[in-house]
Amino acid sequence: MLVLTFAFGCALAYLLRGGWEWETRLEAAIEAGIVLSALLCAQGAIWAKPTWGVWWDWDPRLTTTAVMVFAFLGILALRQFVDDPVKRAVWSSVAVIIAYVDVPIVYFSVKWWNTLHQGLSTPETVSGGVPLAAAHQCLRGAVPRLRDDRAADAAGAPAPPGELLPPPLSASGIKAAHLGVAR
Amino acid sequence: MDGILTGGWEFVWLAYGVSLVVIVSYAASIFVRYRAELGRCDREARREPEVRKT
Repeated sequence: MLVLTFAFGCALAYLLRGGWEWETRLEAAIEAGIVLSALLCAQGAIWAKPTWGVWWDWDPRLTTTAVMVFAFLGILALRQFVDDPVKRAVWSSVAVIIAYVDVPIVYFSVKWWNTLHQGLSTPETVSGGVPLAAAHQCLRGAVPRLRDDRAADAAGAPAPPGELLPPPLSASGIKAAHLGVAR
Repeated sequence: MDGILTGGWEFVWLAYGVSLVVIVSYAASIFVRYRAELGRCDREARREPEVRKT
């Protein structure tokens, strides 16, 4: 989305100020945006299979994302059919501005419509508990391994694992940690 | 329900694998196109003095 926003900025800059550097940046941004959006769709499908049970669903978020990918793919294809560089730059800038209308729709689709997809990822929903839980899980693996290595160094044999394992962090624990409340 | 997911590592490997393939392929395509463009510029620069002579 950031790359496509950059493409939108380049399209506006080309139309308002001119300059081939904006046209070059526009083409690069469209291409990178398509690659990253296609990757987003692929990763979303891989995430959807174990959580929803299907690879794809015609849900508002997924549908608007697919429309976004195909719209920008169409612009890149359109560029191949126009030989005149000035016409190509103007047409693709206008097309990017029109296609960009879909980008905020993709972002707010989970808020505007009743959808299978989870809500907006904001600092409130991802900060605090989630990184803390990830760090906790890493430590759960790293602490016994360090201890085992030390024990193996000292005695020549690995010590039984699991003695220093911290207790599993529950969902309420994550929430409590996120809110700064002692469990 | 304790908020901890178990299993599903094949999906994690698949997600990382797909990302790796896509990003490496795109990086390789950029490198190849950059080299081709450098070659084209070089050929045009060499051809330019010949055009001037004629």
